[in-house]
Amino acid sequence: MPPSYGPLQVLEILLKHPGRIIHELHGARPDRLALWLLVFALVGMAIYGVVVGSLTGGSQLWIAPAKLALGTLFSVLICLPSLYIFSCLGGSEARLESIAGALVAAICLSALLLLGFAPVAWIFSQSTDSIAFLGGLHLLFWLIGLFFGLRLMGAMSRFRGEAGRGHLRTWRLIFILVCLQMTTTLRPIIGRSDHFLPQEKKFFLTHWVESLGGKANGK
Amino acid sequence: MINRLKILLRGDPAEIGQWLEESNLRWAAICTLVVLVGSGLYGFTVGLWRAPLQAFYTAIKFPLLIFLTCGGNVLLNGILAQVLGSGLSARQTSLAVLMSFALTSLILAALSPVSLFVLYNTPPLASQATLLGHSVILLAHVFFIACAGVIANHRLYRLLEKVSPSRAIARQVLGGWLGGNFLLGTQLAWVLRPFIGSPGLAIEFLRQDPLRGNFYEAVFRALRHLLFPT
Repeated sequence: MPPSYGPLQVLEILLKHPGRIIHELHGARPDRLALWLLVFALVGMAIYGVVVGSLTGGSQLWIAPAKLALGTLFSVLICLPSLYIFSCLGGSEARLESIAGALVAAICLSALLLLGFAPVAWIFSQSTDSIAFLGGLHLLFWLIGLFFGLRLMGAMSRFRGEAGRGHLRTWRLIFILVCLQMTTTLRPIIGRSDHFLPQEKKFFLTHWVESLGGKANGK
Repeated sequence: MINRLKILLRGDPAEIGQWLEESNLRWAAICTLVVLVGSGLYGFTVGLWRAPLQAFYTAIKFPLLIFLTCGGNVLLNGILAQVLGSGLSARQTSLAVLMSFALTSLILAALSPVSLFVLYNTPPLASQATLLGHSVILLAHVFFIACAGVIANHRLYRLLEKVSPSRAIARQVLGGWLGGNFLLGTQLAWVLRPFIGSPGLAIEFLRQDPLRGNFYEAVFRALRHLLFPT
């Protein structure tokens, strides 16, 4: 983190003047700022996870935050190598630390937006028992957050002087699919289960269709 | 070496075009190493759904397929490049094609974590949804390999545009190379099968009759079964 910025200032700048964060991430020492952004992203996801887990309560109040934070971290780790290669393909000369910083800044911005949606999500979680409805609502909020996060990544890509946008678009598709699948890999996040992780392998579309049909009711 | 690989990824044709003029084999050796490690790593994730032994076999066969395709078409690619007037020698042609495969291997290696994640979420061989698992693995790898192949060939085209007298010649040369590599590559892939490993068949390095039949007959038979089931 740059010496002049406090932790809360970093978040404020990320929201109001993301250009400064982009500039810092492409400076000489982006690793410290990137690490802080990652911490903020994971904490933000965990806080939103408490809201997600509040539908069923009990142990889900710590399981959902843990799964959301871990799922975010795993998605970042799985997709970082391809992001770096695809950025290079787009003509970027940035270092791996800067690319990683761009990714965690995007995730951090998404997490901040999710925190903004948290009161709305909490109200709904207190007034409905429908896991399918709440799943759809959380997904909608996540997609809105991700849209702004990925838009920030696009701005960083332009800052790095990447010529082609096709590579970044392909990577975005892969990242979104990985994140969506992660929600099924780590299920149940909203509902309750006897196991921390599922016993059966499923693809997210299959799981969604089953959830909407009531087959996975309560899971 | 890392800097050169970064330049290869960025695809600056002016800089990469100069490498074709170098007479020493160091860059060719680096590309060979990248293909060996990158496609070997990706190949490992391809075969892992069937069994660890299949993963080991595929990690060997994936780079082998690339080298045999490159090696088998050295003469044809070199002749096509000269006949069509690109001005590239056989050595330069081979290096350009090898660089294209090295780029493909780098992209595939970067997608290996995603491939492993797909594998983790795929119904295993022992489950009731084995056929679904096999189809998902197959489709995912077709998508990854197609992405990597399209990007690498686009880069190869830009390089050819730079070194050829005209765009038309660059297109013709690339078309000729792609046609030759596709024809040989698909048949070599058939001979070197299995890569993923069919659920009902034994794990083998090569099938017992690797040279029997060909890729195109198999596609024709599959289409006939699909369109005329009786």
